[in-house]
Amino acid sequence: MDQDLLKAILHIAERMTESGAEISRVEECIIRICKAYQCRHVDVYATTANIIVTVETAERIPLTQHRRISATGTDIDRLDRLNDLARYVVDHTPETAELRRRLDEIEARPRTPQPLIMLCYSIIPAAFCLLFGSRSPVECLFAGLIGFVLGLLIMLFERTKVNKIFARFLCSLVTAFLVKGLMLLHLITCPDYIIIGNIMTLIPGVGFTNALRDLFVGDMFTGTIRTVEAVLLAIAIAVGFAIPDLLVGGLL
Amino acid sequence: MLVLDTLISVLSALVGTFGFGVLFHVKGKKLLFSSLGGMLGWFLYLMLFRWLDREVLCYFIVSIVISLYSEVMARWLKTPATPLAIIALIPLVPGGSLYYAIDFAVEGNWESFATKAAHTAGLAAALSVGIVLVHTVCRHIRWKHS
Repeated sequence: MDQDLLKAILHIAERMTESGAEISRVEECIIRICKAYQCRHVDVYATTANIIVTVETAERIPLTQHRRISATGTDIDRLDRLNDLARYVVDHTPETAELRRRLDEIEARPRTPQPLIMLCYSIIPAAFCLLFGSRSPVECLFAGLIGFVLGLLIMLFERTKVNKIFARFLCSLVTAFLVKGLMLLHLITCPDYIIIGNIMTLIPGVGFTNALRDLFVGDMFTGTIRTVEAVLLAIAIAVGFAIPDLLVGGLL
Repeated sequence: MLVLDTLISVLSALVGTFGFGVLFHVKGKKLLFSSLGGMLGWFLYLMLFRWLDREVLCYFIVSIVISLYSEVMARWLKTPATPLAIIALIPLVPGGSLYYAIDFAVEGNWESFATKAAHTAGLAAALSVGIVLVHTVCRHIRWKHS
């Protein structure tokens, strides 16, 4: 075990966290890998924002590294591959270069094509518009179109790294204004299902569940951060939807 | 008519869940089975709700059933169970409830807002607690075996 190897291990852990792994699993993964490399002692503290590891190597040399994590999302495919890699590393304890090579392979995996992502952003609101009780093809169509606009916005915000809460707020604000516009043009009569369909792509359902999951397994710190984030996101979305109603409510 | 309505609803759950699966980079068989889970969960909810008429309780039951389904599928597909469960339960995420809560707030109907907001939080909690309970129990079972 040396600094380079520890750096590579932290890289796996960082990517796992970014892909939406449970924090307790990230910690467990680091501990198991370090033990596989004959470390005498391993101390890990991970949150969604940072990871800090101190190991005592077989030669009794203490090593410490810290990693700041900025982005979190959900990428199941990458998470699966990283889990496989971690399992492989524990079983075979490869050289640093080999570990790096496998890590690069995961990073280079084909990405979901943009048009498919946009299609999903359009189809999801249309589907949930139906699911929540709309039976009007026009409403579904508009839900899909607004979803498309939202998809573009979300991608733009991801690329420009705008604060997540502010980004959600803007998304819901734009959706609400678009729906108001459709109402004013008399293209639709009932805004409810279109808005609900679009709320579904914005609402932090995954975040909230992850938060409770972390709390239940004892990661109070990460659990608290994630709960606060989910609640703030929900409030941001709610406020965004409420503003156009308060502004132009009198016009309708 | 009721059958047709249920069919439309259930199929849209399938499509919606599939869309989310793609956005969360779920691939292959996992995508198929999490979407099917989404459809199954929503169907179960519709049936249970007709019978029990208690939304939070229905959410909790469906959450537990779908989490168990995901645990089984996860063992088979060699993937973590929780993401599968989270994706399969997306049709039950209380977006509608949140919207109606906001609607009451905009109208200035604070009493209804408070009721609806608490209801939304209750639904979200029922979903999450179901997933987490099953997950925690299954974790221990795994641990005892090894």
